[in-house]
Amino acid sequence: MKSRLVIALLSTTLLLAGNAAAEDLVFTSWGGTTQDAQKTYWADAFTAESNIAVTQDGPTDYGKIKAMVEAGNVTWDVVDVEGDYAVQAGNAGLLEKLDFSVIDKTKLDPRFVTDYSVGSFYYSFVIGCNKDAVEACPKTWADLFDTQKFPGKRTFYKWSAPGVIEAALLADGVAADKLYPLDLDRAFRKLDTIKADIVWWDSGAQSQQLLASAEAPFGSFWNGRLTALAETGVTVETSWTNNITAADSLVVPKGAKNKDAAMKFIAQATSDQAQAQFATATGYAPINLDASTLMDAELRSSLPDMQADTQVNADMGYWAEHRDEIGTRWYAWQAK
Amino acid sequence: MAVTVATGAVKTKREGTFGYLLPALLLIAFFFIVPVLMLLVRSVLEPEPGLQNYAVLLGSTTYLRVFLNTFMVAGVVTLVSIVIGYPVAWLLAIMPERWSRIVLAIIILSMWTNLLARTYAWMVLLQRTGVVNKTLMGLGLIDQPLALVNNLVGVTIGMTYIMLPFVILPLMGVIRAIDPAILRAAALCGAGRLQCFWRVLLPLSLPGIAAGALMVFVMSLGYFVTPALLGGTANMMLAELVAQFVQSLVNWGMGGAAALVLLVVTLALYAVQLRYFNPARGT
Repeated sequence: MKSRLVIALLSTTLLLAGNAAAEDLVFTSWGGTTQDAQKTYWADAFTAESNIAVTQDGPTDYGKIKAMVEAGNVTWDVVDVEGDYAVQAGNAGLLEKLDFSVIDKTKLDPRFVTDYSVGSFYYSFVIGCNKDAVEACPKTWADLFDTQKFPGKRTFYKWSAPGVIEAALLADGVAADKLYPLDLDRAFRKLDTIKADIVWWDSGAQSQQLLASAEAPFGSFWNGRLTALAETGVTVETSWTNNITAADSLVVPKGAKNKDAAMKFIAQATSDQAQAQFATATGYAPINLDASTLMDAELRSSLPDMQADTQVNADMGYWAEHRDEIGTRWYAWQAK
Repeated sequence: MAVTVATGAVKTKREGTFGYLLPALLLIAFFFIVPVLMLLVRSVLEPEPGLQNYAVLLGSTTYLRVFLNTFMVAGVVTLVSIVIGYPVAWLLAIMPERWSRIVLAIIILSMWTNLLARTYAWMVLLQRTGVVNKTLMGLGLIDQPLALVNNLVGVTIGMTYIMLPFVILPLMGVIRAIDPAILRAAALCGAGRLQCFWRVLLPLSLPGIAAGALMVFVMSLGYFVTPALLGGTANMMLAELVAQFVQSLVNWGMGGAAALVLLVVTLALYAVQLRYFNPARGT
């Protein structure tokens, strides 16, 4: 039984690998409504223009990237990754240098441009609340960490990444401009106070499900997932107070089979047109500085980069440097 | 584990049959054994040669808790599966065959349904705002929703459901093989129904219980999807820990070390099974 299962799994893997090895470009992202928009406005538009077919794969998996690069059999050509990972992986030699004669970086938000990566889109962790399920919605991170005032389950991003640690410190009264270097002891002490009331979400789709069903009537979310959820008819309230920004990046794993096509794809995906359309569809902000002019002004004003008043920028450099250390501690704390 | 099964079978047959197994063995060797060995080798080579990964793994209370939790979950699931599965197996064994065939088909069909789909279904059913809680609250049986998911309860329900066929099928075979005349003889000698069960049926079906229990326990040890989705982070099991090391922390040395611990435990249990419950030896 077990061996048959193994073989079945193996043959499936082989089939999938075979597919990806064809001449098409393979784009990998995180799935859900976000990747749907990436497919429509980046990949399909790219295919129409260049005649290069784009195969969608996912979800992004850092272990797989490492395995592919080490084995010299890289089946992903362009991957959407978290910004801090992009910096770290670039330094670790897992990524191709981007060809900036193909990709016009003068138009791109310089905060997210490195030799190995450019921004993909720009998002905020915000406080989301299902208004129909509760009498009052938390407005600040301190509210979200206050189980007296706001009893019930709250949901946070499960994986070690910029966002939750910062939120805990802000809730505990650390000033937004004094967050880094992160006081991890203090952050975990604060997190301890609500640990029993946390339900973790491990994918954007799950976060939407938890909020819509009021399994967790409030929590910390990617802002675009709330936009998408509101469109399905759920009464969502979003608080932008101290929204914590981070960006995804586009990278090319080292040894990607269709490197030239990958550069062209990234050029198209980061163009003002593609970025404007993607932002309109998802509620995430564009990383192309010219995209604003192509977007509806009212919608533009609702995107994360326009919520600058109390905004907190997660420090990707700090995270890239301390990613392993924080991660080890984070998962150990979760398992306690 | 798969290969051990295969070579075990070879020994009991003539050497000539080995050739037929060769393609399967090669396939497993290349795509299963070699990659697994490579990961295990990394556990003593990364980040530098030595046993420091094992020292960290076995010296940390956090990881020890994950080990203990893995055994605890596997144990609870095994126990509940036996308690629920035994009556079903018994019923299947004594039912008229046309009925038992239908029940058996239902049990086996559920095994063919996608694991992920089944687990998500449990998630929707068991959550605080799910069907189970809503129904119980609607009936006025409870005021507050019960915590049925993101904890040990959720993991146990989800995994027991998946493991039940693996208990029911071997047990059914063993119970069917028990001569009904023995039970009649016990009754004739004055044994009550309970006594018949405790002193005759149960001892005779013990080999089936042991086989089913060991199978479920070993399978549960390495389970990933169900505990990841239905358990909380405090119920983490070993397989999740391995995935976390490999995927999120990209620390393959530690991942390999955790995987080896799991493999050693599994093989040890498998050895116990071969030693004490080998049907070929007629025990």
